Amino acid sequence: MASAPSKLYQDDVSLVVALLDTNPFFWAAASLPFSEFLHHVIPFINSLLLLNQLNRVVLIATGTSSCGYIFDSGDGNASGNSNAVCSGIIKKLEDFVGKDSKIGKGSNGDGTRPAISSLLSGSLSLALCYIQRIFRSGTRHPQPRILCLQGSPDGPEQYVAVMNSIFSAQRLMIPIDSCIVGAQHSAFLQQASYITGGVYLKPQQLDGLFQFLAAAFATDLHSRNFLRLPKPAGVDFRASCFCHKKTIDMGYVCSVCLSIFCKYHKKCSTCGSEFNQVAPDSTIPDQKH
Amino acid sequence: MPQVRIVARNFMDMVAALPAAKLDKLYDSSFICEAVLRSLPPLAKKYVLQMLFLDSPLMAKSMEEWVLPDGLSKHKVAIDRLLQLRVFMEVNDRKKEPSYKMNQKFQSNMQKYLTTGGTVPREPMPLNAAVRLPSVGELETYAMEQWECFLLQLINSSQVDKSTSFSSSMMRAFQRGLLNSSRDNEAPRLTENGFQFLLMETNAQLWYIIREYISSAEERGMDPTDLISFLLELSFHTLGEAYSVNTLTEVQRLAIKDLADLGLVKYLQGRKEGLFMPTKLATNLSVSLSDASSRKEGFVVVETNFRMYAYSTSRLHCEILRLFSRIEYQLPNLIVGAITKESLYNAFENGITAEQIVSFLQQNAHPRVAEKMPSVPENVTDQIRLWEADRNRVEMTPSHLYEDFPSKDLFEACCDFARDYGCLLWQDTKKMRLIVKGELHQQMRDFLRGQR
Repeated sequence: MASAPSKLYQDDVSLVVALLDTNPFFWAAASLPFSEFLHHVIPFINSLLLLNQLNRVVLIATGTSSCGYIFDSGDGNASGNSNAVCSGIIKKLEDFVGKDSKIGKGSNGDGTRPAISSLLSGSLSLALCYIQRIFRSGTRHPQPRILCLQGSPDGPEQYVAVMNSIFSAQRLMIPIDSCIVGAQHSAFLQQASYITGGVYLKPQQLDGLFQFLAAAFATDLHSRNFLRLPKPAGVDFRASCFCHKKTIDMGYVCSVCLSIFCKYHKKCSTCGSEFNQVAPDSTIPDQKH
Repeated sequence: MPQVRIVARNFMDMVAALPAAKLDKLYDSSFICEAVLRSLPPLAKKYVLQMLFLDSPLMAKSMEEWVLPDGLSKHKVAIDRLLQLRVFMEVNDRKKEPSYKMNQKFQSNMQKYLTTGGTVPREPMPLNAAVRLPSVGELETYAMEQWECFLLQLINSSQVDKSTSFSSSMMRAFQRGLLNSSRDNEAPRLTENGFQFLLMETNAQLWYIIREYISSAEERGMDPTDLISFLLELSFHTLGEAYSVNTLTEVQRLAIKDLADLGLVKYLQGRKEGLFMPTKLATNLSVSLSDASSRKEGFVVVETNFRMYAYSTSRLHCEILRLFSRIEYQLPNLIVGAITKESLYNAFENGITAEQIVSFLQQNAHPRVAEKMPSVPENVTDQIRLWEADRNRVEMTPSHLYEDFPSKDLFEACCDFARDYGCLLWQDTKKMRLIVKGELHQQMRDFLRGQR
């Protein structure tokens, strides 16, 4: 899907909102240490800022119980000595992870339930709100896109929220690119990139992460029409049911609001409509011939 | 706007036309590498990023696979540009397949930039209580004043209050393509290029002047390479900071005075040494090297009844609007005018095209109307184009008229002869008259003589 063809956009200039996964449970067991990961990501951000003087990059950290803004290149004091900026980013990330784990422990009592998935829906919402603010700031603004660097597995309880963010991004014509640094594919992000017209990539070798990022995610939206970009082999369109948040292949759909359930319910929990039909055990013979 | 591309590309062509050794020396400075990278077309930028950390050359065929079939022409343009600027070097291996490698110095500079980040070319002066530095706003007004004064002097020396300190020979060099004096005792008139120059964006005009300045640098004893590198470096300074003149070389010190006249820097006298502060015009230099349009606020509102309201106080804007519209009132913050047939015909006589007028109005549309689609009403733009087409109603071809043919056969033979050469324009069989294109006249005469 093409980006919004509007005179308001400058051709080459982009705004990239990068969502970094900082789930400590994932990074503790990952093959690539987090510091190495940052060594690939920070030069990539520098390269985005290098390509065009007016490019802007925003970093949002995705934690297990919260999300936060880490870096905004449009702040005004970001230009100049980049070493200070880099150490600023690292310090902010450390503070964020500390705060996030405190929140996680607090809400779970003594933290016995390990949160395996990160709060993707929260950071997507933060990114969309930031972009909406940019849209309202003036007539000429850069072309926005979202880049998700995700490693943790999908949390089925976030299905509804993530799908809502994906549809908002689709309506605003903001492509969502995904780069999976974890071990397994992410159905949410596959659907996100498919629906919004972004790029989905799971690099085979994480040592060359910068090269993958530069090759697939660095170009502006206009030039993407001319480039051969990686496409996923198949998209996992499975949904999770609204009642138990389990991933299901076949289920029941409410005819009014299209919510998905795995078991028969008398009343839809989302829209409240009642289902006045026979129970699924008896079959209705449909013999017109 | 295409004009920026043409002028800015000319500047980069000038850079690319430097001899290989000088160009490689230019790449010693990482700022020039950055500026050159920013001036490349978007596909070329991506290729540079991809090749940045590759040490071995990459085959041209495999590069072509990066683009879709529609993008092949853009791919070619990008690769040509990279080769021209010697960012990519061609390497021929034994199999005679061309492959490309990145320029060593360029590559190492860019790698350093990405891993350790950019730096500034020189450190700003520490704040000194004795010297009061102008604020960013004051710098902007200073820059605009200087630039306008310079432009006014350029197009019409009589209208300006204070003149810049450019020597008259320099001004003549700038005016070379833009003005010509038809007669010695008459004031010089703007040429067609001059009008187009006025309607271009500030950045395009700036690049044009800088290009002329650098071309004439050799005669004044300044090395063009030094000037080019200094100008590109200038755009990486921080806006609003003062830098000491002592950090500049001789050549750069000479250049600073001229640049201060153009409004690119503000020259101050500090306690012990001179200071210079770059203005927005300077820091925007590297932005306009590529096709990006400037983010200046527009000021013109065009209504559907052909009236035009320009919220501006600058005399330069008034002069520009006077080129193609009839200015009716000039109020303290507003210029009221109307786009009329006479004023447009006047503009067309001077060589301005309808497209330029329309794009000028669209580019400079006031923010209130800029959000509307279209920013200039369609009936106005259509009418401007129609009035321009009016002037092209008649097409002239030099030709000859043949009449008084003695016989019909001769007339038919002549018609066929002319038609064979594709030069027959009109024939009247009853009166036996024939109009043939002028270039065939000689052959026609020989043919007729042969027939007699």
